[in-house]
Amino acid sequence: MQLGRVVGTATATVKHPTFEGERLLVVQLQTTAGGPDGEPILVFDRLGARRGDLVVLTNDGRALQELLGPTTPGRWSVLGLPDVRS
Amino acid sequence: MRIGEVIGRVTLSRFQPQLRGGRFLIALPMPLAALTEGALARGEELVVYDNLGAGPGSLIGISEGREAANPFGKTKAAVDAYCACLIDQITI
Repeated sequence: MQLGRVVGTATATVKHPTFEGERLLVVQLQTTAGGPDGEPILVFDRLGARRGDLVVLTNDGRALQELLGPTTPGRWSVLGLPDVRS
Repeated sequence: MRIGEVIGRVTLSRFQPQLRGGRFLIALPMPLAALTEGALARGEELVVYDNLGAGPGSLIGISEGREAANPFGKTKAAVDAYCACLIDQITI
């Protein structure tokens, strides 16, 4: 699990069939110091995170496969939206 | 999935039979500055399996690692980068 900041949303018409109807966020992962960690990633979200929100992500592909089916190529998904970062 | 910009293709004369029907793209991962400010910086290129029909200039979602082979189901496929979606628009 890792913290990230939602920087935007992405729309895709042509996509893997398991992605149908899902929201895709563009998220910049953060290091423990709060700096950017690598390139931004596309993350599946069913919780309604918005641009600017801090989100807790999981990179457990199995968790996403429970939602989207075993053949999905997705990995990252939103686990929760923390209130305060301390 | 990282976001990548397609810059070219790789053509193979021989390949494993389970990869039939796909193409191989060369894509550059997009850093944050490239998405937000239109910066020209890009990450290190990688070869991506594609059966959605991405072309040069397309922005794609690149699934990497274990999950990249998931769409092949029980068929064993040596794919560790998979074009999972063609991005129409990114709203920053």
